[in-house]
Amino acid sequence: MLSYILRRILSTIPVMAIVALFVFSLLYIAPGDPAAVIAGDQASPADVERIRQSLGLDRPFLVQFGSWLWHILHGDLGTSIFTNLPVTALIAQRIEPTLSLMVLTLVLTIVVAVPLGVVAAWKAGSWIDRAIMGFAVFAFSLPVFVVGYVLAYVFALQFEWLPVQGYTPLAEGLWPWLQNLILPAVALGSVYIALIARITRASMLEVLQQDYIRTARAKGLDQRSILFVHALKNAAVPIVTVIGIGVALLIGGAVVTESVFAIPGLGRLTIDAILRRDYPVIQGIVLLFSFLYVLVNLMVDVTYTLVDPRIRY
Amino acid sequence: MTVLTTSTVQMPPGLVVAPRLPDLLLPVRVRRGVLGFLRNHPTVAIGGALLLLLVLIGVLAPWLGTVDPTALAPARRTRAPSAEFWFGSDMLGRDVYSRVLYGTRVSLTVGLSVAALASFAGLVIGLVSGTVRWADGIIMRFIDGLMSIPPILLAVALMALTRGSVGNVILAITTAEIPRVSRLVRGVVLSLREQPYVDAATASGTRTPMIILRHILPNTLGPMLVQATYICASAMIVESILSFIGAGTPPTIPSWGNIMAEGRALWQIKPYIVFFPAAFLSVTVLAVNLLGDGLRDALDPRMAKSL
Repeated sequence: MLSYILRRILSTIPVMAIVALFVFSLLYIAPGDPAAVIAGDQASPADVERIRQSLGLDRPFLVQFGSWLWHILHGDLGTSIFTNLPVTALIAQRIEPTLSLMVLTLVLTIVVAVPLGVVAAWKAGSWIDRAIMGFAVFAFSLPVFVVGYVLAYVFALQFEWLPVQGYTPLAEGLWPWLQNLILPAVALGSVYIALIARITRASMLEVLQQDYIRTARAKGLDQRSILFVHALKNAAVPIVTVIGIGVALLIGGAVVTESVFAIPGLGRLTIDAILRRDYPVIQGIVLLFSFLYVLVNLMVDVTYTLVDPRIRY
Repeated sequence: MTVLTTSTVQMPPGLVVAPRLPDLLLPVRVRRGVLGFLRNHPTVAIGGALLLLLVLIGVLAPWLGTVDPTALAPARRTRAPSAEFWFGSDMLGRDVYSRVLYGTRVSLTVGLSVAALASFAGLVIGLVSGTVRWADGIIMRFIDGLMSIPPILLAVALMALTRGSVGNVILAITTAEIPRVSRLVRGVVLSLREQPYVDAATASGTRTPMIILRHILPNTLGPMLVQATYICASAMIVESILSFIGAGTPPTIPSWGNIMAEGRALWQIKPYIVFFPAAFLSVTVLAVNLLGDGLRDALDPRMAKSL
């Protein structure tokens, strides 16, 4: 098992290399000449050429890629064209709200979606099942910002139960932090909940037909432990896979959710970077999120070996 | 299978007749033709009808009581919905009803184009990857790399490179969708290759291109069609997200994402500017998803039972 985990970790290296190559090409083919931008309007062509040489922009593509990669591996993501601050510093400033939102949404999704899916599978064909699956199709079709605006309108503007927008750091207390994140997390989670509920139901339906479940029933186990202990354990692998894949939805949705609820996170940073064409920042964010995504799915794969001892590699 | 009973036959007195057994399977009336297909699969009918309605709205937008969607009227800014402005007017005095109706065109164009382009590209890549062994490793590593960039971010990054236009939005979203389609097609091709009828064709001397064309391609079309509807739905959502965050269609073109982005500053006091495009977008995506679910049930009964 240890050798499998090691091999799985090693297999992420070529994947990340291709991501890096893609992200670097993005900057390489981006319109506009960074040397000219840095030199300013007054610079002579000779000045621009000098800056280009000092930045190494006159070297071949692969040499530039190698040197860029070398810096990244040493934790240097470059400097923002617009603010002149290191990209790592900009990201560090904004990462807390985004991570808070994503972790809270992930927890909320698992807590809500898995039981929904289990109940739907248990009562398959009944009105409860139909209601849950109908809700799932519906929630799957609602874009994040639509859910966000409706929730904010109802719970923040009409009932005034929760703040409309903004973010309070976790350092200022658990409740103020949570208060600001409840609506964004529900909005961001709606699509994800629908997805996980569907896959949980499908996976559970398959497991519930197996003989050992009938044995468990026959020996008089109560329904709850059959569903949540015996069946769910064996239905877990596809569910965990989709939770891992769904993190991509979470990352994309976070950008929009932060915009709707005015949360000063990485999403806000992304939008600002796009509007200003601040390519190093865009690069840094894409690289960071892709790394996060690969890491999550690596953890998912490693979890399989713990969840399901039948899996051998 | 119907269990026959003899209840209609005259029974001699004193003979106990076995109780009528319930039918094991209810008789299924097979309906034929397009209309019959739609009656068998009501989700396809509902989704298809809604989608058709939206296509008609998009095509007929100029004749549905709309005015020029870009006409400014500063004197009549931010009016609430009324007889004159059915969906109200935005902060530049433009008629939201007209803008939303014209926005249908952008959304449907992007959704359908991305679905068609991504399916075609994914089909080609998946077929090559599934049949040409030496290319498979290289292609799949690239697909793995692209798949580990979240699709919306990939589209955002590509849009940052280019000018905002409908064509560029289509290309960016297509690029982000291709990896998933390629994976799907490759998976189907790999499982089809092991089928006995493919072995039979090989044994009888059919050449590889012919096997692909006659035996493998037709069987990938079902899953592809289902996948294409989901791509269409996802592309419409991504398009509105890109426009909403300012990386999509240029602000001069009325798309639902743009209308919402413009209404964002005022949404707390004038929620209708955001509400109407949001409602249209949700209904459109729902229609396409219903169509996709229905097609999946119709084309693959085995999957339909579980999902």
